[in-house]
Amino acid sequence: MAYLEIDGLSAFYGRAQALFGVSLEADQGDIIAVIGANGAGKSTLFDSVMGLTRTQGDVRLEGESLIGMGTSTIVRRGVGYAPERFNLFPYMTVRDNLLVGAYTAREDIQNNLEMVHALFPRLKEREGQETSTQSGGERQMVSLGRALMTSPRLLFVDEPTIGLAPRVCNEIAEALRRLRGEFGLTILIAEQNANFALSLSDRIYVLESGRVTAQGTHDELSDDETLAAAYFGH
Amino acid sequence: MRLRWHHLALWAALVLGMLLLPYLVGNGTLRTMIFANYLAIFAISWDVLSGRTGYVSFGHPFLIGIGAYTTAILTKRFDVPVEISIPLAVVATMVGGLIVLLPALRIKGSYFALVTLAFMELMYQLVQVIRPDLTGGTRGMSGLPTLTRGAVNGFYLSTALMLAIAISMWLLMRTRLGIALAAIGMNEESVRGSGLSVTRLKTFAFITSAFIAGLGGAFYIHYLGSIAPRALFDINFLFTIIVAALIGGAGTVVGPLIGAFFLTFLLEFLRPYLPGAERYFVYGGMALLIYMYQPKGIIALFEAGLGRLGRSR
Repeated sequence: MAYLEIDGLSAFYGRAQALFGVSLEADQGDIIAVIGANGAGKSTLFDSVMGLTRTQGDVRLEGESLIGMGTSTIVRRGVGYAPERFNLFPYMTVRDNLLVGAYTAREDIQNNLEMVHALFPRLKEREGQETSTQSGGERQMVSLGRALMTSPRLLFVDEPTIGLAPRVCNEIAEALRRLRGEFGLTILIAEQNANFALSLSDRIYVLESGRVTAQGTHDELSDDETLAAAYFGH
Repeated sequence: MRLRWHHLALWAALVLGMLLLPYLVGNGTLRTMIFANYLAIFAISWDVLSGRTGYVSFGHPFLIGIGAYTTAILTKRFDVPVEISIPLAVVATMVGGLIVLLPALRIKGSYFALVTLAFMELMYQLVQVIRPDLTGGTRGMSGLPTLTRGAVNGFYLSTALMLAIAISMWLLMRTRLGIALAAIGMNEESVRGSGLSVTRLKTFAFITSAFIAGLGGAFYIHYLGSIAPRALFDINFLFTIIVAALIGGAGTVVGPLIGAFFLTFLLEFLRPYLPGAERYFVYGGMALLIYMYQPKGIIALFEAGLGRLGRSR
């Protein structure tokens, strides 16, 4: 039994179906990348695991089904979510943004704040700044930090590098590596930037039009010429 | 929650100033202050719901009306003493808050605003046709028991009520609960994704808002001694509440308070020059200017001024 098992998951927005029987597995401590173009269903997949869409199929964390639990309970079970485009609270300070994330894990606020500040010292320096005045990289850090305030063991990160400069991407990658290495998190990343995803992840799932069309390690997928041409640029 | 001493000092100064005011100004000004106090209560109530969570209510007189009519009917028709009728009115208004909450669970933005406007209109029509023997129909009711006599006592009572509400809301909004309510207004999806129960937070905001509206509405009509549906469910009354909150600074507690005083005194000041409805034209223009140049409201001007003072020291 894998740590996380997504089993034949379909998702719907009203009558429109966005995911078609997606299956995916992750072991504890894995970094898994889900890559695909815009509209492939990456965000829908993450939203569905978090209980934010209407779904069929199953999602199990350590063998326990998350389906029907409600987002609040799922977060309490240790699943954190840093959504696409950060989705921060723009007219609030960095600190208040983080505190909203801390709602389900009040006892851990101090420890979690220390973890966030250790990963991103800049957030400590700027805790009183409104996030609407911050750079994209800083906002991404706040978004990750807010997700970490929920005390997750499993973290979903949607497009962490979107619109960021390469140097900032490296900082984010470094933070994600430390989260796995030092704090033992299991991480799923959705990315269009396949090279970023490859540099980090143990396994890759390719999503196209709501279906998993390929999966494997970097080496396995690089052997497939059409995939390599489409996603890895070589 | 982090409190700063200068915040406490400003509140203390306000309380003290209000206590001394009857020694400094005449009864006419005090009567205007009473209206400003009640308008401030209604604007704070509107802001808890709309300024924080972003669910813009165009039906606030609906809530105020429930509180006002409940206590009016109980005291006038059933001789219930005000000590009992006012708490009952507040409870009834909180139930009304749950009614307003229902559409907010499914719709937002202009659709929500329109639905709440319909609530207000519906209630206006209903009180006139359903059991006019109880509601007084189109004419409303007069000769309701009043809580105080004279301008000074009325001023102290309304001030105490307004300050109690303002200070408790100010404290509440500085807790993480208050922060979460404001977060809903900025990005509801993210609040949900962070594992907070959005429904529970919205329920809290709506019930709190209704609690304040009911309390304000009940005390208000026991100050006036009468109730008139046409004045209560009036679009001008609705807009005065909203404009007070917005001019002062929505999403804060002090903003609606400042806005209410500013608007009430502006209208009073203009009365000798513009006796008719033209006064509303002027405040519309003022509102427009403030939105264009300082959308965060008068409170932002104050804060900028305080900041400048702080730097020059």
